[in-house]
Amino acid sequence: MKSKLLALLGGTLLSGVAMAGGYQVNLASQRQIGMGHTGTGIVTGTSSIFFNPGALSHIRESGVSVGASGILSKIAYLAPEQNSITAEADNPVGTPFHVYGAYKVDSLLTVGLGVYTPFGSTVNWGNEWNGRFSLSELSLQAIFIQPTVSYQFSEKFGIGVGFVYAVGGVNLQRSIPLQGEEGEGRAELDGSASGMGINAGVYFKPSDKLSLGLSYRSKVDMKVEDGEATFTVPASVGSRFPAGTEFNASLPLPATLTFGVGFMPTEALTIAVDISHVGWSAYERLRFEYSQSVNGSSFTENARNYEEAFIFRIGGEYKVSDALALRAGAYYDQSPVQTGYLTPETPDADARGLSAGIGYSLSENISIDASFLYINKKERTDASNLSSGIAGTYKSIAYIPGLAVNFKF
Amino acid sequence: MKNFFYRSGALALFAGVLLTSCDPEIDAPAASAGNATFTSYIAVGNSLTAGYGDGGLYREGQLNSFPAILAQQFSTVGGGEFTQPLFSEEQRNGSGYLRLTGFTAQGSPITANETSALGIRSASPRLYTKYTDNTRNLGVPGIRVADIKTVGYGSTQGNPFFERLTNNPLQTYLQYVETQAQAANHTFFSNWLGNNDVLGYATAGGFSGTLTDVDLFTENYSDLIDVLTADNAEGIVATIPDVTGIPFFTTVGPGIKATLTAAKAQGMVALTGNGPSRTLVATTGIRDAAGGTALFTLTGAAYAPLIGRPGGKYWRDLARQTSPANPAAAMEQFITTYQIDTTQAFGVSVGNPWPSALLLDDAEQAAVQTATTNFNNVIKAEASAHNLAVWDANAYFRNIQTGFTRNGVAYSPAFITGNLFSLDGIHPTPRGYAIIANEMIAVINAKYNANIPPVDETQYRAVIFP
Repeated sequence: MKSKLLALLGGTLLSGVAMAGGYQVNLASQRQIGMGHTGTGIVTGTSSIFFNPGALSHIRESGVSVGASGILSKIAYLAPEQNSITAEADNPVGTPFHVYGAYKVDSLLTVGLGVYTPFGSTVNWGNEWNGRFSLSELSLQAIFIQPTVSYQFSEKFGIGVGFVYAVGGVNLQRSIPLQGEEGEGRAELDGSASGMGINAGVYFKPSDKLSLGLSYRSKVDMKVEDGEATFTVPASVGSRFPAGTEFNASLPLPATLTFGVGFMPTEALTIAVDISHVGWSAYERLRFEYSQSVNGSSFTENARNYEEAFIFRIGGEYKVSDALALRAGAYYDQSPVQTGYLTPETPDADARGLSAGIGYSLSENISIDASFLYINKKERTDASNLSSGIAGTYKSIAYIPGLAVNFKF
Repeated sequence: MKNFFYRSGALALFAGVLLTSCDPEIDAPAASAGNATFTSYIAVGNSLTAGYGDGGLYREGQLNSFPAILAQQFSTVGGGEFTQPLFSEEQRNGSGYLRLTGFTAQGSPITANETSALGIRSASPRLYTKYTDNTRNLGVPGIRVADIKTVGYGSTQGNPFFERLTNNPLQTYLQYVETQAQAANHTFFSNWLGNNDVLGYATAGGFSGTLTDVDLFTENYSDLIDVLTADNAEGIVATIPDVTGIPFFTTVGPGIKATLTAAKAQGMVALTGNGPSRTLVATTGIRDAAGGTALFTLTGAAYAPLIGRPGGKYWRDLARQTSPANPAAAMEQFITTYQIDTTQAFGVSVGNPWPSALLLDDAEQAAVQTATTNFNNVIKAEASAHNLAVWDANAYFRNIQTGFTRNGVAYSPAFITGNLFSLDGIHPTPRGYAIIANEMIAVINAKYNANIPPVDETQYRAVIFP
């Protein structure tokens, strides 16, 4: 049953548009999305596999949680000094998902498996906008598979560690500025990628009213080997773009260090605060190495030079009754993209997120979580002169509804 | 149940409206004409204004002329209709033009003439299908400032591109401009004239053609501006670019230099001016990326592979071209006039020098530079006297010699690969014209406190590859 479900998810629901900083997708649990995506300093249930493996050992029952979000995002573009050259990225609906399963071996030891999509990006600017020689369409996908062990030393203290195996792929399409009778040239790079990393955390609960957590998700270098590079160009220059060209590339999925605090002033109310540091400086360049010379060069390289960024989150949950919980949250997500480096791949800017959510227990064993997140990125104007990007003004917003089902055993 | 569907339908509609109305929006400043009036625009100039490219004037080039692009952008700030003397769809290839048909094994471009669907009504003298309706694009390929008051310039013995437009063979170009300006009742104009007052001499390697006398240039230019500003019209004028920076002069030399260097040849012997005088061109003196000054014309590409071998192909070709009836006699005359011995090594011997028409040597370049500077001073002074906008094309093309990138595309003055210049190495591609139009728009916006949007240059083509 579970493997079938995973295959279905893997086949039809792939990770979404990068609506967090850079190409991060912070949509790991519908309950936590409702709470501003906090969760490192509290026990979040099976999703502690993602938020803090150290807290996983403090869950009360074994369980499985399955959820997905739909990212409805749009990006507006206005060319420099313009009031007429505009474009809009009409992005397909992104569907980041997660499946968590946790099993309490005994009262101290908990093991779990998480499958989730913390990174990804899908942007589609089309083949006609003025930036098509930089980018028409990009899709980046990464699915993390994380077996996890968590151990509770006491009621107050737990640690946990997970091993991450990541699989994914990249598909990049753009126009080539070589025009024939039949139109402009096209390039498509398509390849699958994989990488490894860890996710570790500690959880400390000094009192009934306070809990603390620290989690570290390591950098994962996604390596594409022998990807397929396909070029469509006029015949007279065809020999400069040889058929059968393969490419290698590496994309770092940055490390994230998060410190979280939970306050439980009453039985019914939980307030959580998270501060994350994302090691974006690992993303220095986007480089494609070709197996044969393409238009006179064996590689293409563009500087990215992302800078480290912080994310500040706050969220709360109020249990109206045993069955019903209401949630709300907000966050502020700094952009890692420096001035001069904005690209149409990730036309990033400091983002503000507002969320709300509902949890409802259908029975002792089954509950559902619904969430809605609104992300508004600041309007940003950049010359894009250091990244081979497309100069102009960009503005992104996204609406992200999500739904999860939780089973307890 | 019905009620439920109605309610959920209304809810979905509401949600849809909410989501759509929440699309990201970027506030853009509104387009504005500022202090200028663009209701009626006319364009005066030469081939660059007419939309000439790839060595010819044809419909596609006309449709993408920089005045047509300007007029299209002006229409966002109250600009009216802009008519051009277009070749008809049936005669869309106009004068004929060059097409890229492929590359040699060495990577040199091969071009061929388009010969179908032409707008030629007489082969000798060459005359084009007439277009005598009133028009707003008054660009005449080949015209110099020196020609604008010449009676007969519009006759069958004059400039066929002007003959095409005027219905009176005795009308001068200046009179034609005046008539058209009055018919259009123009409020704005562009004037980019003067290039051919240096270009004809330069592209002929100083072998033929003359540089216009600066006094004549001054008088004629002033008269033209007087006509264009008679009714207080506003406008933009453009200066003359440094012709030595265009691919017509920079493409062939580096290859010759590399061949000579590989052969350890010290240099070449060439004719200079239009007589039998010889000049020496040191190998190191040929301009390429590393230095040097001597410039070889694009028309010399066919003869560059013959350097060092005996033969008189150039002179035979010239004889056939200038005297189709009796090429042998013409050949005889060239041999005598230029003291040619075709048994000697071409281009590297005193007896068989490289032709003057295929080389712009240092002395000729200096003459071109001086004239260009003088003419540009006249243009700027006239603009200043009439408070007109000036696009300094000379400064612009000097600044882009090392290339630039826009919207992910690299541009430079390099032949074909630079995207800016068409297959004749002199005139821009439609993309190049769009970039020029945007530069002019920037100048107009600054001068008249206007906000005319630039055009998306990527929607205009560069060189078409087969």
